Amino acid sequence: METPTSLDVPTVRGGRRQRRRRATVVTAALLLVVACLFVLTMMLGSYYVSPIDVITSVLGLRDDPTTDFIVRDLRLPTAASGVAVGLALGLSGVIFQKLLGNPLASPDFVGVSSGASLFAVSSIVLFDASSSAVSGSALLGALLTALLIYVLAWRDGITGYRFVLIGIGVSNFMVAIIGYIVSRAELYEARQAMTWLAGTIGQSGAGELRTLLVAVVVVIPLALVLERPLRTLELGDDTATALGSRVERNRLVLIALSIVLIGFSTAVAGPILFVALIAGPIAQRLTGSAGGILTAGLVGAVIVLGADLVAQQALPTPLPTGVVTGIIGAPYLIWLLATVNREGRGG
Amino acid sequence: MTSHDLRADNLTLAYGDTDVVRDLDVQIPDGRITVIVGANACGKSTLLRGLARLLTPRGGQVTLDGTSVQEMRSIDVAKVLGLLPQTPVAPDGISVGDLVGRGRYPHQGWFRRWSAEDDVAVAAALEATGTTDLEHRDIAELSGGQRQRVWIAMALAQDTDLLLLDEPTTYLDINHQVELLDLLTDLNRQSGKTVVLVLHDLNLACRYADHIIAMKGGAIVAEGAPRDVIDAATVTEVFGLACEVVPDPVSGTPLIVPRGRHHARPEVVRTLA
Repeated sequence: METPTSLDVPTVRGGRRQRRRRATVVTAALLLVVACLFVLTMMLGSYYVSPIDVITSVLGLRDDPTTDFIVRDLRLPTAASGVAVGLALGLSGVIFQKLLGNPLASPDFVGVSSGASLFAVSSIVLFDASSSAVSGSALLGALLTALLIYVLAWRDGITGYRFVLIGIGVSNFMVAIIGYIVSRAELYEARQAMTWLAGTIGQSGAGELRTLLVAVVVVIPLALVLERPLRTLELGDDTATALGSRVERNRLVLIALSIVLIGFSTAVAGPILFVALIAGPIAQRLTGSAGGILTAGLVGAVIVLGADLVAQQALPTPLPTGVVTGIIGAPYLIWLLATVNREGRGG
Repeated sequence: MTSHDLRADNLTLAYGDTDVVRDLDVQIPDGRITVIVGANACGKSTLLRGLARLLTPRGGQVTLDGTSVQEMRSIDVAKVLGLLPQTPVAPDGISVGDLVGRGRYPHQGWFRRWSAEDDVAVAAALEATGTTDLEHRDIAELSGGQRQRVWIAMALAQDTDLLLLDEPTTYLDINHQVELLDLLTDLNRQSGKTVVLVLHDLNLACRYADHIIAMKGGAIVAEGAPRDVIDAATVTEVFGLACEVVPDPVSGTPLIVPRGRHHARPEVVRTLA
């Protein structure tokens, strides 16, 4: 195209920079909030530790065995898994939603989490598995369920509408089997299974937590690299192809990343519901047009850490994290269903 | 604007087991406006999608400058050939500036992100479509006509020598249809961009096309300048419509007047009988 002589480039550049600045400021602010909640999680409990002590202990700048034991051995795993699980859920959810062009297409909603739960509960009830075996089963369950949905929804390609509907069907199927298995279980195992199903960030062992952290450290940069093709896929397959994006390959890799993230986080913390569903839309509201997927991950971390603080500290009896996210998430879902259907964009 | 050769040789396109376009040969005239017309389900959109490599041919091939588009890297095709699909999808809450900016994808890379050149291309696309004032607006807030101009701006920002559009006037009222076709003509006349579009309205197609392709049953029935190829017999063959073809009082191009079963004046009925 010829370049006309009097172009309004400043409007374009200014608009773009302004939107990017807003996204950057929001992302930085969220990072700060996550850091504060991370420290706060390690301060509170039956024994109060001052913020300075928490920070110096985590960084290994001081030598106080009692504080070190409380902060590094007891509370750091919970706080770290809160951040990792939140990031994983937020990213996983926003990738799914953008990929399938549907705000309801959250991986915990379309059966991936229920698949993970079915495998985890089966391993607890039927095989009396160790905690790392439960985590492994959950991961396997997430991957197999995703594969099942992908195969069932495939018809010369994948559309968001089919994927969500089939996913909801598969989800219900899994939940029904979970109910059956739990009802047949011995009391102790049933209780253990129900605790796992409620979802809590503090329940993981050191081994699973380390695996999740590695997954997050490896997968997040990969997801950020793939954000560029994701931005083309959001425009629909035809436009994405016209722009030169390799649609099927990019979609497959992005879905796989999303499944790995939700699989690992479910393996560590159980199914913490609604975080993957609400993180993306909240991030979108905060950042506006130029927001990225990392912001959704940070929103996820804020929600999980915040929900865990409420669950552990603010209520008379400590509750599982998943109960609190459910209380926040369920009304949002109802609102979403109401408004999405009004706009006719459910599918 | 470099000259390009987009053509289909012996092309067969299918959805599932059904052949929609069969053994078709066509060459898109360089630097001209080509309009593909035909009745519903005649394969006109399918042909356009095939030319834009959105469909893998069952037989034959589509070549761009002598190379099969299926064998070229998709991103290299995207630097030369742009497409606006029939129903493009806008992400939630995206601003006009950001959406148009996404047209720059094929010109960017893993390491070459946004550049001053991209800003210039976006500004030029907004200016050409008269949407500069909408730069900061959310797509969802716009009217149908504005939105369609923004989509065209995105396709323009891609900065390709060939631009394919699948029924770009479908959801527009008549004044916006004319406005849009005038805009595409401006782009063609000013920069020599090759434009290929599928249109429903035969009269507008005849007026705006340099080259018209009439399709029926997955094959080309007639092609050439509208004045040369569009007559009552052709229209009847392509659309199954009994009609008169008269010169358009504004442009002199063929104007199709359907006969129908009612409302004909008595003297007309006599001449037809």
